[in-house]
Amino acid sequence: MAETITLLALFEDVEPAAAGIDRLHQLGLQDDQIFILSGVPLMERVLGRPKQHTKIPILALAGAIAGFLLGLFLTFGTQILFPVSVGGQPFLPIPPGIIVTTVMTLLVMLVFVFLGVFFESYLPAYGPLNYVPAVSDGKIAVQFTCPPEEQPKFFQAMTDSGAKSVDLAEAKPL
Amino acid sequence: MAVTAKSLPLTDAEPSEREDPGEHLMLDPRPRGEMNAMVMESMQTTSRGFWGLTLILGLVVAICLFVAWGYLIAEGLGVSGANRPSYWELFLVNTVYWIGIAHAGTFVSALLRVLKVEFRRPFTRAAELMTAFALINVGLSVFMHLGRVWLAYWLIPYPNERGLWPNFHSPLSWDFLAISTYLVASTLYLILPLIPDLAMARDRSTGWRKIFYRILAVGFRGTEAEWTHLKAAMNIFAFTVLPIMFIVSTIVSWDFAMATSRPGWTSSIFGPYFVVGAVHCGVAAVVMVLYIIRKTMKNMKYFIRLEHFDALGKLMLVISILWAYFFFNDYMVSWYGGDTVSKILQKFLEQGPVFWVFFTVLICNALVPWLTLWNKKVRRTPGAMFVIGMLINVGMWFERFMIIPLSLTINHMPFTWRIYVPKIEIPLTIGTFALFFLLYMIASRLIPLIPVWEVQEGQMAHSLRKVGKATVISTTEIE
Amino acid sequence: MATPNHEPQGKWGMVIDQDLCTGCQACVTACAMENNISFVGEEDAGYGRNMQWIRIERFWTGAFPGVSTNFQPMLCQQCGKAPCEPVCPVFASVHSDAEQLNVQVYNRCVGTRYCANNCPYQVREFNWRDYPRPEPLNNQLNPDVTVRRRGIMEKCTFCIQRIRRGEEQANAEGRAVMDGEVVPACAQACPANAIVFGRLDDPESHVAQLAASQRGYKMLEDLDTLPRVTYLKGGSSHGSNG
Repeated sequence: MAETITLLALFEDVEPAAAGIDRLHQLGLQDDQIFILSGVPLMERVLGRPKQHTKIPILALAGAIAGFLLGLFLTFGTQILFPVSVGGQPFLPIPPGIIVTTVMTLLVMLVFVFLGVFFESYLPAYGPLNYVPAVSDGKIAVQFTCPPEEQPKFFQAMTDSGAKSVDLAEAKPL
Repeated sequence: MAVTAKSLPLTDAEPSEREDPGEHLMLDPRPRGEMNAMVMESMQTTSRGFWGLTLILGLVVAICLFVAWGYLIAEGLGVSGANRPSYWELFLVNTVYWIGIAHAGTFVSALLRVLKVEFRRPFTRAAELMTAFALINVGLSVFMHLGRVWLAYWLIPYPNERGLWPNFHSPLSWDFLAISTYLVASTLYLILPLIPDLAMARDRSTGWRKIFYRILAVGFRGTEAEWTHLKAAMNIFAFTVLPIMFIVSTIVSWDFAMATSRPGWTSSIFGPYFVVGAVHCGVAAVVMVLYIIRKTMKNMKYFIRLEHFDALGKLMLVISILWAYFFFNDYMVSWYGGDTVSKILQKFLEQGPVFWVFFTVLICNALVPWLTLWNKKVRRTPGAMFVIGMLINVGMWFERFMIIPLSLTINHMPFTWRIYVPKIEIPLTIGTFALFFLLYMIASRLIPLIPVWEVQEGQMAHSLRKVGKATVISTTEIE
Repeated sequence: MATPNHEPQGKWGMVIDQDLCTGCQACVTACAMENNISFVGEEDAGYGRNMQWIRIERFWTGAFPGVSTNFQPMLCQQCGKAPCEPVCPVFASVHSDAEQLNVQVYNRCVGTRYCANNCPYQVREFNWRDYPRPEPLNNQLNPDVTVRRRGIMEKCTFCIQRIRRGEEQANAEGRAVMDGEVVPACAQACPANAIVFGRLDDPESHVAQLAASQRGYKMLEDLDTLPRVTYLKGGSSHGSNG
């Protein structure tokens, strides 16, 4: 593989960033060679990017099923394991079962979703990463890889689109 | 929603009706860097008053909570005011009351997010913090009322050598599961939108703060993938925390409604009645907290504006009417067709030795909001809203007091009727309030209170648009 | 829970004759002695924390000079559908299928007091404090019954220690328990023989025959708790002093 360098262009606003990404496409870069960092969530269409897919809804479903089974075990399983007779109520009561099952379904689903965010985003990440603090101040960072000899061409393209700065991406701990 | 048209009569209105678009937070955008700086400054500025109050609250918590609770555990519940027939005392009142406050955060954060109501943006975190700390107080209050609190872990379903499990026929077991679920869900729901703001704080801090935020921000950078997963998760959370909120309050109400023989408790409307009551005092508490934040923290006047008090005031009025509807349902059925003991109970509440509780409840929860909140000027006066919010909270606390210890006084065995007089519950109640404020004050200096990324997101979506001759606010569906 | 080595023993019940009760409180005293009940003291008892597993409720009716009293001994009714049972979160209040009694497991109780709230008869006693038992009162303790500490709920058990002792005795002798062999402390002490105890499911027993009496009624019957205690009360039409 030919040696490549990683450049990071900072844009102030959405329109220049979108224009910049367009120029990168014109210069031959594919979508997976471009990487966006932003301080607010931006719809992919706004910047002309392909849609991101997430497995979080599937994790939610898996969590819901796990929670449902847990709820069933708590109400009915424990009564079967250690039968105790109380107050003339049926041995395996359905209405309390509904309550416990509902609560457990929701709980485990949410725990799975929360853990899923971290798992899917490969967080926590405490090692060195490509980042500029200006991103959390609202700038949009467009990071891309290109062959080193074409660096001036890309530099010019980004500056023409309105980038505030174009630098080599530095990976440092955040 | 696509476009909401709210007419701003800029050109041809009466001077008194003219509204400045810059008054709306969403139409008054500042550069993100500036907003970040404002939030960081408000977090890092402390005054002598702040530290003095923190010290006092800490002392109150140490004495009223730790010392008093230690005494309670050592001596037993005899030092409280509970007796036969009022076996449940102020601790349970506090439990239900703090669950109500907890509903504040969920209602504002989850419901308003689901309904895409834009005015929620600056204060979702302030409300979610209220939920988290209120739920801590719920847990404490529940533990306080236990006779043998050192064995409280028996309520947790865990496999043990005796094969014993908790009793899931019991509303208290459902309570335990539901409140635990609510606590976990609310805390996680607080953490998720907090991560981008912690990243912002990390980028703008030095010293111990930087280490602190660096650890908590878990390396969040704002990549497309991270935002996608975060937003998907927040969406699921918002939709799910709502039913949890309803379920928790309903289950707590079933602690009382499942009582076979208690007049005043066996009411099938307790479920929705408690939910609405909880939201009522919760939203009022949000208003109180917003007023305090706005008044005492720097730069908050930019984020929390009169329009927010206005909108919350309208919400409070509607909820107050809804609360009165459920109260009247409960009351009317008992008044008209209740059995002998229920009627005696009603007479006791209205004309007995503590009849003022009943009227305090009605005045504070219904009369005060109805007389004041229809007026736009009152709603846009933060001081007035604070007072109204406080009165509603007082009214709701007394409503719980009416339902729990007072209603327990009258039952089917007249020989046992006896008045309840609280003793150590009073310092412990004060202790829980002090703990809530103390935790909140500490959190306000450690956690950015305003979700700046959400505010910026909203500001990006709002613009002014000309429709015909009128200039209107338009919200675009940019998310 | 069946007793070890035994089949389920059947339905224990009680009949209390209010026309005979003189309100002398001998039953209250005997119960306190038999079951190691703590002495609460005047202040706590006045505030509604008296620990009486059986209490005599006294009601006055009429005006002077035609005043009359009505004594109502109230104790745990050992309900068939006890409202106190399903609500205990830790299964400290459960139903004994063998003796058909409501049993309180002292060791398991964490003191939520939901059972006491749910009891329509308000017969559950809570240990609000560790009440002192100064010497030599501790010599009076009954070794068959545990001593409860603060934070635990307790109530009348129909003297289950005496029921068990009767059953063990009968078993050791290879026979069934005879009617009148098991007598709880209150029934033993009552000078008017107003309290009768025995097996309700044995049609020959004294208690079963009394329970079928025309004067019989159950307390708070409309709540459908299926109590095991039948009260007999006839009033003036049956020649009592009421």
